[in-house]
Amino acid sequence: MLQIRDLSKTYSNGVQALKSVSLDIPNGMFGLLGPNGAGKSTLMRTIATLQDPDTGTIRLNGLDVLSDKPAARRQLGYLPQEFGIYPKVSAQALLDHFAVLKGVTDRAERGSLVEALLRQVNLWDVRKRKLGTFSGGMRQRFGIAQALIGAPKLIIADEPTAGLDPEERNRFLNLLAEIGENVVVILSTHIVEDVTDLCPRMAIIALGQVLLSGEPAEAMASLEGRVWRRTVATAAIEDYKKRFTVLSTRLNGGKTIVHVLGDAKPEEGFETVAPDLEDVYFGQLRAQAASARAA
Amino acid sequence: MFKEIFGFELRQQLKSPLFWMIAFAFAALAFSAAVSDHVQIGGGIGNTHRNAPFVITQWLIAFTLIGMFLITVFVAGAALRDFEAGTAELFFATPLSRKAYLGGRFAAGYLVSVGVLIAVALGLLIGSFMPWLDPARLGPTSLGAYAYAFAVFVLPNLFFVSALLFLLATLTRSMLSTYIGVIAFFVLWQIAVITAENLQHLELGALIDPFGLSALQLATRYWSVEERNTGLPDIAGMLLINRAIWLAAGAAMIAATLAFFRPDREGLRFWRRRALKAEAAFAPSGIAIKLPNVELRTGGRARFTQFLKLAWFDTRGVLGGVAFLVMLAFGLMNLGAELAYGNELFGTKPYPVTHLMMEAMEGSYKFLLFIVVGFYAGELVWRERAARVSEMMDAFSLPDWIPLAAKLVALTAVIIAFLAAGAIESMINQLLRGYIHLEPGLYLSYIALNALSFLLLGMLFLFLQVIANNKFLGYLLTVLFLVSRIALKQLNFDHHLYDYGSAPATPYSDMNGYGHFLAGHLWFQAYWACLALALMALAALYWPRGTAQGWKERGRIAAQRFRMPSRALIAASLIGFAGLGAWIFYNTNVLNQYVPEDRAKELKADYEKHYRQYKDLPQPRITDVKIDLDIHPQAHRLDVRGHYTLVNKTGAPISDLHMTMPVEMKLISLQFAPHDVLSDDRVAGYTIYRLKQPMQPGASMDFDFVLQYWSRGFRNTPDDTHVVDNGTFVDSRMFPHFGYQEDGQLIDRNDRRRYGLGPVPRMAKIDDQAARQNSLICCDADWVTFETTVSTDPDQIALAPGYLEREWSENGRRYFHYKMDKPILDFFSYQSARYTVKRDLWNGVALEVYYDARHDFNVDRMIESMKKSLQHYSLAYSPFQFRQMRVLEFPDYERFAQSFANTVPMSESIGFIADLKDPDDIDYVYYVVAHEVAHQWWAHQVIGARVQGVTMLDESFAQYSALMVQEQEYGPQQMRKFLQYELDRYLRGRGGELVEEMPLALNENQDYIHYRKGSVVMYSLKDYLGEDLVDKTLARYDRDKAFQQPPYTTTKEFLDYLREDAGPQWSPLIDDLFSKITIFDNRVTEATAKKRADGKYDVTIKLHAAKTYTDGAGKGTPAKILEPIEIGVFARAADGKERNEPVLLLEKRAIADGDSTITVTVNGEPYEAGIDPYNKLVDRVSADNRMRVTVQ
Repeated sequence: MLQIRDLSKTYSNGVQALKSVSLDIPNGMFGLLGPNGAGKSTLMRTIATLQDPDTGTIRLNGLDVLSDKPAARRQLGYLPQEFGIYPKVSAQALLDHFAVLKGVTDRAERGSLVEALLRQVNLWDVRKRKLGTFSGGMRQRFGIAQALIGAPKLIIADEPTAGLDPEERNRFLNLLAEIGENVVVILSTHIVEDVTDLCPRMAIIALGQVLLSGEPAEAMASLEGRVWRRTVATAAIEDYKKRFTVLSTRLNGGKTIVHVLGDAKPEEGFETVAPDLEDVYFGQLRAQAASARAA
Repeated sequence: MFKEIFGFELRQQLKSPLFWMIAFAFAALAFSAAVSDHVQIGGGIGNTHRNAPFVITQWLIAFTLIGMFLITVFVAGAALRDFEAGTAELFFATPLSRKAYLGGRFAAGYLVSVGVLIAVALGLLIGSFMPWLDPARLGPTSLGAYAYAFAVFVLPNLFFVSALLFLLATLTRSMLSTYIGVIAFFVLWQIAVITAENLQHLELGALIDPFGLSALQLATRYWSVEERNTGLPDIAGMLLINRAIWLAAGAAMIAATLAFFRPDREGLRFWRRRALKAEAAFAPSGIAIKLPNVELRTGGRARFTQFLKLAWFDTRGVLGGVAFLVMLAFGLMNLGAELAYGNELFGTKPYPVTHLMMEAMEGSYKFLLFIVVGFYAGELVWRERAARVSEMMDAFSLPDWIPLAAKLVALTAVIIAFLAAGAIESMINQLLRGYIHLEPGLYLSYIALNALSFLLLGMLFLFLQVIANNKFLGYLLTVLFLVSRIALKQLNFDHHLYDYGSAPATPYSDMNGYGHFLAGHLWFQAYWACLALALMALAALYWPRGTAQGWKERGRIAAQRFRMPSRALIAASLIGFAGLGAWIFYNTNVLNQYVPEDRAKELKADYEKHYRQYKDLPQPRITDVKIDLDIHPQAHRLDVRGHYTLVNKTGAPISDLHMTMPVEMKLISLQFAPHDVLSDDRVAGYTIYRLKQPMQPGASMDFDFVLQYWSRGFRNTPDDTHVVDNGTFVDSRMFPHFGYQEDGQLIDRNDRRRYGLGPVPRMAKIDDQAARQNSLICCDADWVTFETTVSTDPDQIALAPGYLEREWSENGRRYFHYKMDKPILDFFSYQSARYTVKRDLWNGVALEVYYDARHDFNVDRMIESMKKSLQHYSLAYSPFQFRQMRVLEFPDYERFAQSFANTVPMSESIGFIADLKDPDDIDYVYYVVAHEVAHQWWAHQVIGARVQGVTMLDESFAQYSALMVQEQEYGPQQMRKFLQYELDRYLRGRGGELVEEMPLALNENQDYIHYRKGSVVMYSLKDYLGEDLVDKTLARYDRDKAFQQPPYTTTKEFLDYLREDAGPQWSPLIDDLFSKITIFDNRVTEATAKKRADGKYDVTIKLHAAKTYTDGAGKGTPAKILEPIEIGVFARAADGKERNEPVLLLEKRAIADGDSTITVTVNGEPYEAGIDPYNKLVDRVSADNRMRVTVQ
């Protein structure tokens, strides 16, 4: 159980990256959804002890993460959004290297751990290859392998699916799901489907604020009967955006399908649809934008 | 497109700290070359200006050569950048033309290399404006010379080198291979040039030198000082052809690069790579993950394992780094050259004893470590962040100190690997030279001491990089530190207490090891180690982790981390730092005196200002010396109880006694006639006593003194090298003397100006009758009786001039009583060491060599030389005045040999370790001993008056006497080699003259004249007049002047003897040799031969001959050649060695001024022909007097 209370962070250039963020994250996959620049990475890095907030606390199963960083780090697996590798070192060697640095100093333990991890992420066959020759997906898998060293209680994966092809992405998420049964896995992403597919709980964050937190199904249920769909001419979209709360637009065979939020049927031609998480997500963002305009 | 590529590459290069570091280092090197007298290039003959166009050009060429190895990084870096950064495919996918791509990269790499040389030019230029340079040695600043050097040499040479590097890099796509290629090229080039030189194919040599240096030398071979100062050779002839050839070669290589370049991933492949396995499919198991249970350990052992792992990882990364390998290769090459040519004396190498190897590393290898350590401190601190691995690693539960400690280990490994590589190269060099007495322990100590001091620097650099938190800023701070260090020294802030990481040197001698200098060195190192430790603790507090930016946030994190172990460590190290600092201060400034260099000069100036007025004040003279000296080698202490008898030899009463003594001697008590103290200047060591009863003419007085010398603790500068554990060597200068001492005066013109002194005091004129009252030894004694008792440790032998009367042990010490049975100069020495003794006998004279047991190589040669010398001199001049002759080794703290009465102290590095195995090498051991023995006549019998020319009477005569002994032993053929060395050293010495070059007979104690020119002139004299006549004159002169009382003799008297014996026809020659500065320019321009029907050969020799008189500044006026000059024709020796060459013809002939042709007939097939073939005359260029004969 990860408890985040009143986390705030303002950068020296004045950008307020986190505004009093509070979240309760139980074991299992937790999706952190938000547009680029929402503060997801800042939040992730803060939980990963790489950045101090101005105020607020983080507790992991009762442990004060911010004041006892060494203890927190022992329970942590972190897959950063962007990371490098030493191109001339083999996967096995670098994973072994990392295992030592994480504290797996027993040689025999480490040997079997590294093998198990590489098998798990299916890099065992290429373990002798230099990391510089790895594809993006392989590198990402290597990243998750290192995050799993030492059975972490908290795994933080920052935008792990960016740049993966759909198949890679699926497999990668499956792997995460397998892991996430008994530990906290925080998965930050701006791809809604990632969360829909595998997160029992989620939060939406934008402009440093938590807009919504809870179960995706619950959130979707709250929009039941309020999401309307219509196929319109592409040229008319701007007009619709002025008149209605447009959640999303999607091209389909040359025409555009719009989703609109409304308590009643907006106009003739709209039909009600079962809301999906994307509608929830965009609904929250539109609401935030609307309240910002109002303020 | 070219412009974009070029601009991008140029920005990349200029952003790299390496460029700035190298540019800065080169500029600093150039600057120091321009302002220092220690390095001379292209100065050539006479008073060439330090900034003459010719000198500037040669410097710039030299730097282009040195730079080749470092420029590799830029040019090859430009060629390889995209392959290393993995961006190659981005470029190759664009419609970029091959020409634009390669051209842009090449042009930028080339330009950056030019940038380094521009830094060099700036260094030279700025250096030439430094106020401390002697204005007389500077000409007008010639920007044209820089332009010429760049246009004709620097730009084409860099173009050629860059093209070569670019080609290599493009073909191999590997920095390492490129580098190996460059080294191979360099070696081939060296071999080619040396071969051409040996074959005497100057034209060929000028063509095949890609750098044009040989062509430049060919074009300016016979230039006068005037020409060197003002002109530069036209770009014509061989120079033009050379430049054209190598520019074309560079262009051809560029074309080849374009042709061979493959814009694909694989490039030009010489071998097939193993195919990579196809990408592994990613099939998740689908079953729940079962990872083995592991424990994340945090205990001490785990931390240690982590530390080792990271340390090993970083170490491997650094040791495989290109920059390290480049520096290493460059260093090893530089060291190789030094090992091959260093420490030669007359072309004879010493045995490669380990401490000479250490010296070579010290001078020509170690300096690169500053660059290596500075560079890698930055690379290491930034390694994880540069690879962006830190994104992951920073979240590991790894303590902050572990990565830092690992970096420190990696840096240590670099330092040790670098030093060890040098040591291994040195050991290989020793073994290749057949020297098997390896001293691995000594190498280890050398490595350890140096590793320690570089590690201290490395710790500071790491600290700076961590604190700066910006690589570039870190490098900037590093460079600033190094600059400030140099600047502080220039400003005479030279105490090691505030010069981070520095410590007094540890001079090493085989006899005395590191002696007591090691302790002081280590105290300082411990002191700085404490501070370095605190810096490391601080660096751990500030170790970058995560994304903390800005000082405030970093400070907060540091404060968070500032807990128990760090607190204790910082506190303890700072306490240690302060405590050791106090202890050091007590040693260097309380127990010893710390005198900064400027203060020392000021003291000298004060001494001169206050006391020079007393220079000619009549003082009594010492006639009798009795000294009891207790040497305490381990305590570095001397206890002196001495007695002088002083006599007033003047015609007037003397009321004031002016006593001087080195300030290091502590006066315990003094007893002489009743007196008052008028002034007592302990700072200058000058005390004036007023006698209550003036000393009447002819009266004598007892003068008893008790003194102590005690070097306690350690000093800031290890200059207390006289009383040491093994190898004490002190002389009579440390006892009281009377009257003003000229020896300590400032002689540097700029120093004198700065401290308000007039021009450099010159030696008294030869006609100065008052000065003739004093001998060379000086002014408070003529001939004295001498008796001494000296004691030392029981395992040492103590020696002084005189005969051993008695030896005994008392109070656990060993006593020796020496007594001289006839008067000697007031000039004596004491030595004490653990000696091995070799004894022999010649005609009843006891011969002894006292040496260190490890240095027994040449002891027999020394004995042999003593015998032959005594034999020759006693027959040729006069009987030997003593019953005993001794040679005594002393430690390598100084390098000379000196002749006291029947006693010759000789430095361990002179002669004792000369490698005389090759019979072709000059046996300078034999020579030096002969020279020193000759001083028993020329100094200890005949001593001149302290006026101009005086040193000719001892040094030039000793050179001549030794030459005659040498010639008897080794034959006249070896003389050429020897005289060539002497001539070259004379010519080089002229180039360094700062005051005025004097003729030999008027020289003012100028080494290069009385030794070097002295040899050549005396040999010339003998060659024209015959040995018998010269010996006869010397014998007559000796007979008349030996043990003479004042007024002392002068060279004028000797030349009168000579003219008288030689007859008037030789007067012009004698004038040329002794009273004028005469320089010949004799050379063979062509030598051909035709075989005649009768089997003989007609040899036609085209000659150029010229004679010039020059003034003291090197300005010449042509003179007519009056004397006949030797012409020689030689056959080839069966073994090809010059010393065995059969002489077909050797005769003196009248030679016309300027060009002329001579035809002679010889009996055998001629091989070489020459004018003055044995270099008996002072000739501008000694190497061109002979030439191979072309037989038609």
